[in-house]
Amino acid sequence: MAKELLSLEDGTTCTSWNYSGSRLAAGSADGTLSIFDSRHPPSSSSLRTTFKSRVVEGNIVKIVWVPPEYGDAVACISADGIVSLWEEVAIAEDSQSLQWKICKSFGNSSGKVLDVQFGISSTSLKMVAAYSDGNVRVFELLDPLELRNWQLQAEFQNVIESVSEFGKASCLSASISWNPQKGGSQESCFLIGFNSNTPELNSSKVWEFDRAHQRWLPVAELAMPEDKGDLVYAVAWAPNIGRPYEIIAVATQKGIAIWHLGLNPDHDGRLPIERVALLSGHEGMVWQMEWDMSGMTLATTGHDGMVRLWQSNLNGVWHQQAAFEPTS
Amino acid sequence: MASDTVGNGSLVPFTGDSAAVYPLHHGLPLPISRLSISWSRGNTLRLSLFAGAAAKVVEVKVNSEDSEIPDAHWRRIAYGSVAPFALLQSQRSSISSLLKTPSPYHSDWWEHVLQYSKEIGTLLGGSKLTNSPIIEGPNILVKTDEMPTCLQAAWELIEIFYVDKQSQAWLPERLVDWLADYDSLFTSTHETIHGKLVDFQKELGNIQVIEDDPRYWDLLSSALSVGWLDVVVRMLRLHGSYQLDQLSNRELENGLVEAVAVLISKMPRLRPESDGKLGDCYKSKPDFIKAWEKWRSQITKLDHSPFWIQCDNQQTHEGLRNLLQIMLGNIESLCLATCYWIELYISHFLYIRPFTMGIESMYNLAEKCIQLKPQSSIHRLTGLMIGILEENTEVVLAECSREFGPWLVAHAIELLTTGSEQSEILLHEDRYNLGGISIVELHRLAYAQILSSHALTWQIAPIYLTSCMKQGMGLLENLLYRQSVQHNDVLLKNIEICRLYELDHISSNIMKIAGVYHWKHGHKGAGVFWLQQAQDRSCLDRIAQQLFDSVGKSISDESFKKWEGMIELLGSESNPAGGLEFLHKYRDFKKSLKKVSGGKSTDAARQAVGSLILLMKNPSTPQRFWLPLLHDSLKLLNWQDCPLLSVSETNLLLNKLQELSLAKLCAHYTEPSLPPNALSSIRLALATNLGRAILDE
Repeated sequence: MAKELLSLEDGTTCTSWNYSGSRLAAGSADGTLSIFDSRHPPSSSSLRTTFKSRVVEGNIVKIVWVPPEYGDAVACISADGIVSLWEEVAIAEDSQSLQWKICKSFGNSSGKVLDVQFGISSTSLKMVAAYSDGNVRVFELLDPLELRNWQLQAEFQNVIESVSEFGKASCLSASISWNPQKGGSQESCFLIGFNSNTPELNSSKVWEFDRAHQRWLPVAELAMPEDKGDLVYAVAWAPNIGRPYEIIAVATQKGIAIWHLGLNPDHDGRLPIERVALLSGHEGMVWQMEWDMSGMTLATTGHDGMVRLWQSNLNGVWHQQAAFEPTS
Repeated sequence: MASDTVGNGSLVPFTGDSAAVYPLHHGLPLPISRLSISWSRGNTLRLSLFAGAAAKVVEVKVNSEDSEIPDAHWRRIAYGSVAPFALLQSQRSSISSLLKTPSPYHSDWWEHVLQYSKEIGTLLGGSKLTNSPIIEGPNILVKTDEMPTCLQAAWELIEIFYVDKQSQAWLPERLVDWLADYDSLFTSTHETIHGKLVDFQKELGNIQVIEDDPRYWDLLSSALSVGWLDVVVRMLRLHGSYQLDQLSNRELENGLVEAVAVLISKMPRLRPESDGKLGDCYKSKPDFIKAWEKWRSQITKLDHSPFWIQCDNQQTHEGLRNLLQIMLGNIESLCLATCYWIELYISHFLYIRPFTMGIESMYNLAEKCIQLKPQSSIHRLTGLMIGILEENTEVVLAECSREFGPWLVAHAIELLTTGSEQSEILLHEDRYNLGGISIVELHRLAYAQILSSHALTWQIAPIYLTSCMKQGMGLLENLLYRQSVQHNDVLLKNIEICRLYELDHISSNIMKIAGVYHWKHGHKGAGVFWLQQAQDRSCLDRIAQQLFDSVGKSISDESFKKWEGMIELLGSESNPAGGLEFLHKYRDFKKSLKKVSGGKSTDAARQAVGSLILLMKNPSTPQRFWLPLLHDSLKLLNWQDCPLLSVSETNLLLNKLQELSLAKLCAHYTEPSLPPNALSSIRLALATNLGRAILDE
């Protein structure tokens, strides 16, 4: 059933596929970034290394591809919380030989970056970064052809009431997911949740850009009143190919919650939410959640080392559809 | 309409049990410490497994088609079913629009569906096996060279019950044919008559006296019980009494064998045509009943005949009498002759309830047969058959998807809705729980996902997706977005699909991706071309700005050549941006200047001056170009034959020089790289020209 595509070098710590599944980026413990390309005609069985070089100090813990509208580029997050943006470009003006170049670095003394995700709003590319001090920063790309020039567009904390006071936050991890909606006039929005010592920050909230006032506003909080302080391990916004509501998965220590998010805000500007399922299975931390391109199947991995697939049945009841257990 | 009866109710059902745990063999030495997942197109899931320092990437197809059929054959089926499917959809929509009702209920709608069903049936390899009248060689009882597939059998079964309205009257006979074609498939899970015949056939050559072999009589009764008359008669003719050397002393025995053989070959059948097989066919029920009763009376007569006592071959005597019992509908004989419930079920239609028409009480009969022949293991066609007999569309659908995969569901659903308004509502009703789509659409989406996951089939996914009214386009957009733009053939195919389905925003998105890809990878021309196609103003403006900057840096003729083509591209269609307008004018000026450079034509020089004045007048011409422009034009300013600039034109240029000297005081001013005496030579040339112009005027 499983077909091996590639054996990675020792020390590889993370991988990430690009939008078309034709390029794989792999990061390793010594800060090496490797890029593997599939040959043409696209047969996934043959991947070859087209780039390999040490790009950061220390361990690469996560790689995120920049949306293809902005080139072939990846953001590498290192264990010490530095994000470096690398891009594949022609060596010189007229050359067709390619090389990977660093464009930009984020993260400094103000805090470690835990996660970044890119989203395209109607006007530009945005990058949301979650920091270990509980801050969320949104950067905006100024020049669509130049990944060097970013501007800090907003900075806020993942709280509904901005007046609430709390001590110094220390966050272990964060998870961000943009609404995968492409194009259209809809305002860009994303979802973020933290795994921190500060309960107010943790619950995942949907942030939407308020164009009139040029600010980000929380439009929904995806947690039951009694669960608001739960540690959030992972969030995933499902592609919506035509449903009259959005579907979002949020994994906390209590399990994987599936939420329906209404499309029309109420008089407070909040979007109606409903938790339609709470799924258990991984018994502990959920590492990652991914929706398929139809937004109907959710794949998850977690502490039990299994890959689980979840679906809703004809009655709207969510359940585990299948699981894969790695065995040697 | 309780949908909780639907099997496991899976949205996108996986083959095998629900919530099954599949092992994932990775071959890494240590247990897995970390896993990462990524969906590729369609139903392909890619996993990175990390164990200790080692790591591997594997790909899993989470919902694949029936493994009974090899991949290449599947693709043939996938491609072959596109045309019939598309035709049926267009017929459906034209009929709906004609009737102005959403439901395509039309008296002969089923005929379209039947035509569709037949085409798909042929595609699945619908060649009849035992139906074929030509069987060569005396020792061939059943053909064994071609194996039908379960998929084919399932398709035909659904067609028999749901679509073929014409054959409703002879439904039992169609089931008899169906079993004759597909009995061999059941051999995988239990003993079948076909399997026994095949075994016997292998040994046929070694058997000396066939009528002494108990298996001979056993098989005769079995084959007769399910109506394989040709096989029975052919086997009877192998009887030893037919041999020329024995004919004389076994005359009576042979007479009895032949009498039974004749009776068997004269069995009345309620079916339109014989297809070259034995039996007397009757189209109308009254004729059939009359013939049947006559035939039965002949059997009874033979059964009571005194000749039996004179038949001294015990085996022949008992064997033939048993065949008569089968034909008389003796339930015990039928039970003994058949191997499993479907065979027994078919034998009921032939000998116990020959006048059954339509589907009424067929389910009860099936239940009775299952009781008489309990199943030790269940074949996947059995589940489907029970669902059909139960008249439970949801079970049928669930069985199709669980046992046969998304292709069958997506295509067979067309058959299930034919003629049943209730199924039509059930399957076409939009459901909130499914995100506002119907079951039909859901299954088409699921099938399109399968197609999407393979490089050789994704191109046909759009046909199915565009037949999904609610979410098909959304999924198609996601599919197209996930195609790589790196290779032109894929890119062009992609854009073609967008054009076909009017997905303009996706195609411009794809073209933008291609544009940025090429631009950044050193194919500047291709980059500009695709960004133009995408009408991406913001990127094009940036590129114009970059060109502009590079033009500003060096104005030598070599660099002019380099970006000349680019300007051409940039300005070819869209309304050129401010910067571009300048570049166009600048290009025109450079061209006319070139013409002047060699020759002495005053006309060409005048043209160049015209361009220069246009450029200098134009507010979009950046200040830092003024001096280089004038410096380039020195030859024009110092034209030998006559002054080329009028007084007012010369004044305009002098004013520009004045403005420049003021601008020099600003911080932002950048000195163009010109020879040190450039400014003074321009001043001198302008002054000289002014003097000559004044004299001329």
